[in-house]
Order: sequence, then C-alpha cells, then structure tokens
Amino acid sequence: MEQVISPEKKGLRNSRLFILVPVIAAFMVYPFLVSDYFIDIAFFFGIYALLGLSLNIVLGEVGLFDLGHAGFYAIGAYTTAILNTKFGIPILVLIPVAALAAALFAYVVFSPVIHLQGDYLLIVTLGMGEIIRQALINNPFDLTGGPNGVFGIDFPRIALPGIGEIFVCDSSIKYYFLIWAIVGLTIIGLKSLQNSRIGRAWNYIREDEVAANATGIDSRHYKLLAFVLGAGLAGVAGNVYACKLMVVSPESFTFWESCLMFCIVLIGGMGSIPGVLIGAAFISLFPEIFRPFAMYRMLIFGSAMILMMMFRPGGAWPRKRGAVEFRSLLEDSGRSDA
Amino acid sequence: MQVILEQLINGLTIGSFYALIALGYSMVYGVLKLINFAHGDLFTFGSYLGYTVLVFGAAFLTAHFGLWGAFVVATGVAALSIACVGVVMERIAYRPVYRAGRLPAVVSALGASIFLQNAIMVIWGPRFQAYPSEFIPDAKVMLGDIRISLLQVIILAMSFLLMGLLYFIVQKTTFGAAIRATAHDRKTASLMGININKVIFFVFTLGPALGALTGVMVGMYYRQISFTMGWNYGLKAFTASVLGGIGNIPGAMVGGLILGVLEMLGAAYISAAWKDVFVFVILILVLIFRPTGILGEKTAEKV
Amino acid sequence: MKKCVVLAGFLFLALAMGTARAADNTVVIGLQGPITGAWAYEGQMAKQSCEIAADLINKKGGILGGKKIVLKVEDDAGEPKSGALAAQKLAVQKDVAAVVSTYGSSVNEPSANIYEKFKKVNIGYGSTAVRLTQNNLKYFFRTCGRDDSQGRFFANVVPRKFKARRIAIMHDNTAFGKGLAEDTKAALDALVKAKKVQIVYFDAITPGEKDFKVTLTTLREAKPDVWYFTGYYAEAALLVAQARDIGIKCPFVGGNAAINDEFVKIAGLNIAKGCYMTNEPLPGDLPYPAAKQFLAAYKAKFGNIPSSPWPIYAADALNIIAYAADKTRSTDSTKIAAYLRDKVNGVPGITGPIGFTPQGDREGVPFYLYVVDDKGKIVVSK
Repeated sequence: MEQVISPEKKGLRNSRLFILVPVIAAFMVYPFLVSDYFIDIAFFFGIYALLGLSLNIVLGEVGLFDLGHAGFYAIGAYTTAILNTKFGIPILVLIPVAALAAALFAYVVFSPVIHLQGDYLLIVTLGMGEIIRQALINNPFDLTGGPNGVFGIDFPRIALPGIGEIFVCDSSIKYYFLIWAIVGLTIIGLKSLQNSRIGRAWNYIREDEVAANATGIDSRHYKLLAFVLGAGLAGVAGNVYACKLMVVSPESFTFWESCLMFCIVLIGGMGSIPGVLIGAAFISLFPEIFRPFAMYRMLIFGSAMILMMMFRPGGAWPRKRGAVEFRSLLEDSGRSDA
Repeated sequence: MQVILEQLINGLTIGSFYALIALGYSMVYGVLKLINFAHGDLFTFGSYLGYTVLVFGAAFLTAHFGLWGAFVVATGVAALSIACVGVVMERIAYRPVYRAGRLPAVVSALGASIFLQNAIMVIWGPRFQAYPSEFIPDAKVMLGDIRISLLQVIILAMSFLLMGLLYFIVQKTTFGAAIRATAHDRKTASLMGININKVIFFVFTLGPALGALTGVMVGMYYRQISFTMGWNYGLKAFTASVLGGIGNIPGAMVGGLILGVLEMLGAAYISAAWKDVFVFVILILVLIFRPTGILGEKTAEKV
Repeated sequence: MKKCVVLAGFLFLALAMGTARAADNTVVIGLQGPITGAWAYEGQMAKQSCEIAADLINKKGGILGGKKIVLKVEDDAGEPKSGALAAQKLAVQKDVAAVVSTYGSSVNEPSANIYEKFKKVNIGYGSTAVRLTQNNLKYFFRTCGRDDSQGRFFANVVPRKFKARRIAIMHDNTAFGKGLAEDTKAALDALVKAKKVQIVYFDAITPGEKDFKVTLTTLREAKPDVWYFTGYYAEAALLVAQARDIGIKCPFVGGNAAINDEFVKIAGLNIAKGCYMTNEPLPGDLPYPAAKQFLAAYKAKFGNIPSSPWPIYAADALNIIAYAADKTRSTDSTKIAAYLRDKVNGVPGITGPIGFTPQGDREGVPFYLYVVDDKGKIVVSK
C-alpha cells in the first residue's frame, strides 16, 4: 500500500518546523549578543542537556533507576584528562575513547546485576557511583591525582600534517558551539532511535517487562544496551567538561550530581527529548539566575523543585506517546488511591 | 582479641546509628514506596534542635532535671518537633505529589532535602557546632579487658531498646499488622478497612522522631555537628536499609548493624581510605546473590 | 506563552543584575568563595573579613584620592564548575579591578585560568597546592603559603623536639590535607633514608564522618612516637578525643587547619591541652599593628575573631589589591599585576610583610610550633 501523508500530518510537520527554525536560529545568534559569562552558562546548560539525554535513555526510555550516572561522567572526564596529560593524545580523538571507556565500564559492571529490580538496581548504581568517586580520591596507581585531580588538560585542537593547526577551541564561544553541536547530533540520533525497533523494545520493557520477554524481546540485552549507550554519552559529556575546565577533580562527580541528572529527566518528562532540554535548563539556569540571593538561593531551588512536581508531576513537556504509558508505569509501581 | 572486640563495639555503635536512621527510610518506603531523601536532613535538624535546647536551657535544665534529665528533655523536644516537621513535610512536599506516582516524589524529596539542609545553614550558620561538654558523661566502663565509654553503653542500650520496641509494635500489635499489610499491598489493605492515612501519619511521625533522637545521640557522642552531615548519614542509612531488604523493618535494623561492622572491618583491616569502596562492593555482591537484600522476601513477579 | 514571558522576565532580571554598574567614585573588588556548600563557613568568614578590611580602608578615606572600596561577592559553592561560572561572571565585569579568589585548590585552578584569559588579577587566600603557581600564570597570586613549606617545617622541627623515631601521618583525603601529608612525607624522606625516623602509619580518614575509633585503633597498634594530622579542626577534635579514649598517648601535632578555638571547644580542655600544631602565626599572635586593628574591628562587628587561619589571608589579599591600586593610581588589572610582582616587597599586612615571588607565591611565610596550654589558649611552644 502506498503511504500517503495526510494533510493533518503535513500541518503538524510544518508547525514543528515553525518552532524548530527560530529555536535553532536563536541558539546560533545568542553567543554573539551576550558576554562570556552568559555563554558559559549556556555551555553548562549544554553539558547538562547531554547528561540528561544520556540518562534519559536509561531512565526515560527503559525505566531503569540510575542514581550513579555521575560515575560514567567521571570516567569520561578522567579518561580524557589522564590520556591527554600523560600521553598528549588530542582531546577530539579522545571523545570516542572516553565514550568507549565509560560504555565498557557500564557493560562490565552491569552485566551481573542487570536482573535486579527497581530500587535494588538503584542502590547498585548509587554504590557504583560512590565507588568510582572514592577510587578517584584515593589515587589508584598514581593516576587520578587524588583529591586535587588532574590538571593541565589541553584545548581541543585539529592539526593537519603539512598544514599545521587549523582549529583551536580556546574561547567560550567555540566551546559553546562544540557542546551544542554534540547535543544536536545526539538529539538527531536519539530521535531516530526512539522510533526504531530498539526504541520500541525499550518502551515495551518499561511498560511490562514480563510481557516483553514473552514476545521474544531479550530484555537483558536491551537493558544492558541502554546502560552502555547512556554511559557512552555521559562519557562524551565528561570529555567536553574536562577540556573546558582544564582540570578534573572528584568533587565534580558527587552523588549530588547524579541526583541532578535524575531531576533533569523527571522535571522535563520521562522519555521526552524537549523535556530533557527544559529540565537541563531549569537545573543549570536556575541557580545562576538566583545568584544575587547568595546563601538563600539553594533554599529557593529546593522549594522550586517541590513546586514543579506539585504542578507538573508528569514533567514540563511529557512525551506524547509516553504520556499514557507513563501513567500506567506509575500505576504499576505499587500506587493505589488511598 | 581485645582489639577485635573493641573494634566490634565501635562498629556496632556506628551501626546502631545507621540502623535507627535506616528505620525511617524503610518504614516510609514500605508504606509509600518512596525514598525519603530528606530523612537524613531531618536527622540533622533534630541534632541541631537538641543542641539548641542544651545550650540555651543549660542552667535551667540541670537545676531542675539534673544531667540525665537534661538529656531526656533535649531528645524529647528534638524528637517531638521533628515528628511535627516530618508530618508537615509529608503534607506539603509529598502528599500532593505521590498521587501522581513515585518518580515525581523522588524529585520532590530531593527538593525537600536541599531546602532543609540550607534552612539549617541559614538558621544556625555554616559553622560546626559543638555540643556543650558539661552534659556529656566521660566515664569509662571496663568489660573484662575492654575499655568502653559509659556513653557508648548508654547509646547501645537505648538503640536496642528502641529497636526492640519498634519491633514489638510492628510485629505483635494490631496496628503493626496494619502497617505490614499496607506495606505488602496498599490497595487490598485499604479494602480491608485499614486507615491508610493513619498508617502514613504514623510512619511520618515515628521515622523522623527516631532520626531526631539519633541526631541528638550522634551530637552527644561526637560532640560536634554540621549542617551537611545528614547527607552522609542518610546515604549510609539508606544503603543499610537496602542491604537488609528495603521496606522490611527488622531488615533495616540488621542492615544498619551489619553496615557498621562492615565499615569497621574495612577500615581496620583494609584501609580507612578505601573502606566505603569495600562497603559498597560487599553491598553489590550481596545483591547479586540475594537480589532483595538479606531479609527481603522474594516477591513473585506480577504477570 | 505565559511561561515564556516569565522566563524572559527572569533572564532580563539576571541580565540587569549582571550589568549593573557601580557609581564612579568607587573601586570594585571581587571576592569569589564558597558561600554555600560544605565549606560555607570558610567562605562566609572570608566574606566577613573582606568586609572589615574594606571598611577599614574606607574609613581612612578610601584609595585613589577618596574612592571607596565596594566588595562584590560571588559564590562558588566549593565546586569547580560553579567556580568557573563565578570567575567568568567576575572576570567579564570591567569595573572589577581585581578579585580575591578562592578557597580550595581544585576550585581555584579553573577559576585562575579564566581570570588569566580576561587579564584580571586574582589572589588566592586558601589554596595551598604547590602546582597552582607553576603554570606561568601572570595574574594569579596568593597570600597564603604553600603545602611544601609547612611540610619542610615539620620535618625540621618535630622529630627533633619529640625525639621521635616512629612517625604516624594521617590526612583527610581533601586536596589540602592530602597535599600537606604527601609533602611532609617527602620532606621526611632524607631522615627516613638516614634511618633516623620511620613512617609507621600513613592513611586517610573521610571528612564529614564522625567515628574514627576503628582507624585509630589501627594507628594505636602502629605505636607511633608522634602523630601528625594534616586535616581540619572539625575532624581533628574528634580524632584526638577518640584517640585519648582508646588510649593513644603520643603527642598530637596538627597541621595549620587542625587547631583553633573551635577545636578546644569541641574536644574539651582536658583533651585539647598539650596538642601541638604547625602553623603560620595565629591572628592573635601577629605582632603587626595592622593585625591588632583588623582583629579588633572584626571582633567588634562579629563578636569573635575568625576561627580558622584562612579568612585573614583573604583580608590581606584585599588590602594588597587596594594598596597596589592606590600606588599605581589605576584600577587596571594589568598594571596592578605588574606592580604586585615587581614592586610589592615587605608591605606591612595583617599577616606580616607581604611580597610575591616571580611565580606569584607569597614570600616568606613563617611557621611556628603551637601548643594548647592549660587554660585552653593556643600559644607558641617554647
């Protein structure tokens, strides 16, 4: 049968374009209008967006509770830092290396525990995050520099043999475009993944794992895949973070950081990509906007988190298809109307 | 041998703190399937309240109630006030949210945690506070060859007493049966005529009250408290409750004590710096072989 | 739509606050420090100290012919990422002459790189990691000492004084504590090679914890003659109290963050007395007139003097910025940096004469061995 695009669908596509084009244009123009401080805020917004997207695969798509995501982020950052400072490998080459290192770690650690349910998996991820952080502090094999961390990380550079250096990423504006280019590519990739076989299998597992297994989906395989992909993306975020700050140290990868990522996904809406962007914006912009309140700003931040959940428990921008599923997930997890 | 026994008692003391805090996590989790991340900060709050009572009421309390009376008053005030805070927190931060499910409640709980921690910082300042030393007994007790402090004995005795009491309430009384029934299956429990709101009220008073009590004991024992300490204790206590089997009340007690002893073993025989790594590795190993914790029951999968 | 308006409103508000300019008859000096987070007490004391220092200068008529100093505080929460943002925020403001920044070494590093890019003088007041001044930064200075100078002092003085052969070193796994412990170990290396001393214990505790008895029992079994703890007073007080409890009797020596009045208060007089520490001269022992005046003003406003050694370095950082700005008749950071590096030498400050090495380190930070006396006062050990 020939596929026909209905007029309504066309209209939908147009309206989406209508939103997308100005948003992208605004992102392109923004850094040329503001000072470096505001560019840097947008940069960290990008980092959190990438981290949120990476956790969204695990938490949003498959419904696995992961409160140790900062661990993967740390592995990406430290892999980059150590290989760059000790062996002088260029940062951009290290992007896939950092992703692979984090992904491999996720695979090795989660293979034996992937069968755990809900909160038990949550505590394993939490424990894993803490193990990584403590290990970094304790400076194993003199690699991680202990609590001081690793410093002196280079700028991302591109050099061609014969021509020499053609690009150095050494200003806030370049870092801004670097991170948002990565975020953009990731969004495109995840979008197509969402609609693929894998994405549907993930959602199926999230809704009803037993039924998914019964229809021949290897849930163990797909769950591990989600962890590996999520960890890999977090590793990329770690790479960019490391070269931006030029120093990595354990206090950037605390349990608290994992909690923030968790909040990004939930504030935005589970499984929703625009939701993740909103969540990341909230987490990264809010404390900056309330800077003038000094020691009261975290007080406001905490209350705002509660208020968000009170008024929009499904997230700021819940996924359309997911909205129905999301509710059913909540029903399943032991809730009843008391 | 003497050293090992001494270490064991030290480990048990830390473990009993963890156990008492873990009870708060486990009770709330059992009834609401909610991880109350703010529980650690309620513990800190209780510790600061006890401190305030002791510092500002020092002369009055010792004159009227004596040294031990002062201690009882401080813990009592802290426990009661924090029980109220717990109930208020449940009404404001959790009740409107958990109708929508358990995941939004996680965010809400984290928000409550940030709020409480920073509120404590704003009220008492960011400095460490020292419990007034005149209230703290420094006598020693000889147990054979082992020297332990009187305070340690009191703390251990009190912890076990509280745990025993709670165990009795939950396992032997009708109301305890109601709590367990709610934890097991809330919908059916409410159909059986159990007043779920009463059960929720109970866990949100008793859990925080136990936390506050522990807070005062921690303050007495270590003499010094800080506004960020709840995060640390909370993380460990939560780990303890999972280790024992979350939602399971005897499990939380066992988990806490085991965690304390494990920490002791790690610090004494491996390395103090690597002890947390050791604890979490053991935790993960336990969960691989017993996926629902030490005392957790294996739940049948719902099809 | 409504949300967009609200969000835009907030952004506008933030922009407006970010770009608000101070009046012309003022000199703006930035302070970046941990106002919130785990080190909030350090950050807030530093803020108070800088306020006092600025007040004192303003009362004397200000600098540059009557301009008043205005302090602009940014919170870095003791965390590198927030540090980078706070630094960025201060660095892009043209009216900020220079910045007092910041407390922890791993927070200071990214911040210092940002200030360097914007050519803004930044003076660390509690960042003692050696490496900070080895990156050829032109705008970074520090008024506090370095980890290795204190370690060398310990190695020179302590083993001889206590006739100690078995030395235990304990740190707290923070950047500062571990750095000092390792530098001390390195400084003791010569004595170890000559078989004069032996390091019988070297391990860490976890800061924020309360129970160290287990660790201490291990330390007791190592039978040290002297025990050096390089962490902070909060843990030091607990450590000593618990150590005496389980029967460790050897002398306790703390690093320069380990002992202060709070330490005595928490540990109790019985336990605290006879504890030693290696330290820069304490605020109260500083013989300098600037110190007496500063501490009197501080006490008058806040009721007590700073309970840790670092805040007065923050005050001195502000003072030296004001001094350099006054002397160069300019609020241009590049001129101030050149002046600080080349011309500042022996300028009287709260913590003694101030001068900088070409790398930006403080010149000649003296160390003393202190002891807690029978009345709980911290006095220089004879």
